Amino acid sequence: MTDAVWTIAKRVITQIRRDHRTLAMILVVPLVVMTLIGLSFPDLKVLDYIAPALLAALAFFFGFLLTGISFLRERSQGTMERLTVSPVTRLDIVVGYLFGFFVFALIQTLIILFYTIYVFDITYRGQLWEILVFQVAVIIGAVNLGIFISSFARNEFQMVQFIPLVILPQMFMGGLLWPVEQMPDYLQWFAHILPLTYAVDGMREIMLTGKGLPDVWVDLAVLAGFAVLTSVLAALTLRKGPGG
Amino acid sequence: MTSIAVSVNHVTFGFGRREVLKDLSLDIPAGTAFGLLGPNGAGKTTLIRLLVGLLRPKSGDIHIMGQLISRKKSPFIGYMPQLQSLYGELTVLQNVDFFAHIYRLHDNAKRAQQVEKALKLVDLWGRRDDAVQNLSGGMKQRTSLACAIVHSPPLLFLDEPTVGLDPELRASFWEFFSSLTKQGTTLVISSHTMDDAAHCDRLGFIRDGKVIAEGTPDELRLATGSPRASLEDAFLYFVRRGKETPDD
Ligand SMILES: Nc1ncnc2c1ncn2[C@@H]1O[C@H](COP(=O)(O)OP(=O)(O)OP(=O)(O)O)[C@@H](O)[C@H]1O
Ligand SMILES: [Mg+2]
Repeated sequence: MTDAVWTIAKRVITQIRRDHRTLAMILVVPLVVMTLIGLSFPDLKVLDYIAPALLAALAFFFGFLLTGISFLRERSQGTMERLTVSPVTRLDIVVGYLFGFFVFALIQTLIILFYTIYVFDITYRGQLWEILVFQVAVIIGAVNLGIFISSFARNEFQMVQFIPLVILPQMFMGGLLWPVEQMPDYLQWFAHILPLTYAVDGMREIMLTGKGLPDVWVDLAVLAGFAVLTSVLAALTLRKGPGG
Repeated sequence: MTSIAVSVNHVTFGFGRREVLKDLSLDIPAGTAFGLLGPNGAGKTTLIRLLVGLLRPKSGDIHIMGQLISRKKSPFIGYMPQLQSLYGELTVLQNVDFFAHIYRLHDNAKRAQQVEKALKLVDLWGRRDDAVQNLSGGMKQRTSLACAIVHSPPLLFLDEPTVGLDPELRASFWEFFSSLTKQGTTLVISSHTMDDAAHCDRLGFIRDGKVIAEGTPDELRLATGSPRASLEDAFLYFVRRGKETPDD
């Protein structure tokens, strides 16, 4: 890891840490959301079944949201222009942001995960550390996607329009609500290019059937590939600052 | 013989259909304060963004210190954008220190020293622990300048650095700028005030994406034919002359 990457990551973290209101929301919102969702289940058995997919989807959702909006702000306030003129490379910038946002996305994911496991007391199989490692792969992809997508938005309003576009199809077609195999054939190929499909599948394999990481290597590999692809794409589209 | 720090050769640039710079050529000698003067929308910011490599010319080329612009030159360039591009949540010190890091001042003692020097130059050492978002407009402007100069670049591009400054600070900024040029730094400064113009070693009058005149302030004033002419008169003189002899 280069010095520039670390400098940028540290700055992103300091920036969010100093913004107390944002920090509080990052910590509280996942708790509120998970409480409402958990309480809405009439039968905890159903929650046991849905939890793995839900954990994957929420991690993805929060990771994408956090990054997409913050990264856009970087461009609209003009600081990105300063960075692109400086000696740091575009990949330094993207990876620096990835690390910075990753910390907060991870905190949110941990909150949701432990809250679901210990407060809602769901029954699950599989090793906790394997669940965590898998979730890390999910978050990295989501954070990178947020950075990438935000370069297509010129302002916050446009970015907000991307949220349903990126998130809702994945929620409905990624196997979260019904199995991918039950969808029409012509939509199944589409489901197979959505990262959430692999995230949901992997989490179910680990938590419901007790499989280990080596058993879900395909899901992991796809998520890792997705993370690499989105960070390269994000680096390539980076210069698209406002008016440049 | 003075060397040329920045050389712009027949550069054309546009946003979509709109031509913003039209066959613009300009040489900026090293170690001078060069003023880009012109009204709103003349193309000053666009030209500076081309010079720092944020935009690419449609045609023509730009040489920086004798070479075509490339990322290799970025450590030697300081850039202060027209917008105060700062991290509002961070303190003044954190902002300047961040850019010092980015410009590869890795040694902690050396960096701390450079950051302190830059903050003292813009007279913000006493406010270093304030969040930038709580500063006044002029103080943000000064923080932005500190971020641009912290790595002591030999080539500085400042887009309207004196906007929003009170007269006292404006004077001290110019004092600082001339101390920089004495040390050999090249400054490219955009402005629309003739007060700034008078401080520059050389000026380029820009209008509608063209350089309508270029020279020292005295040369430009005398070109009007009247020894008492102000720089303002000189600018208007060249605007009128340009209209009489349309070249496109
Ligand atoms: N991102 C952009 N997209 C489209 N047109 C632009 C963009 N940026 C600038 N322009 C146009 O380019 C022209 C020159 O703008 P520029 O910002 O270079 O002027 P300027 O001389 O810096 O003016 P000012 O003194 O107001 O800062 C203007 O007509 C402006 O509308
Ligand atoms: Mg401008």
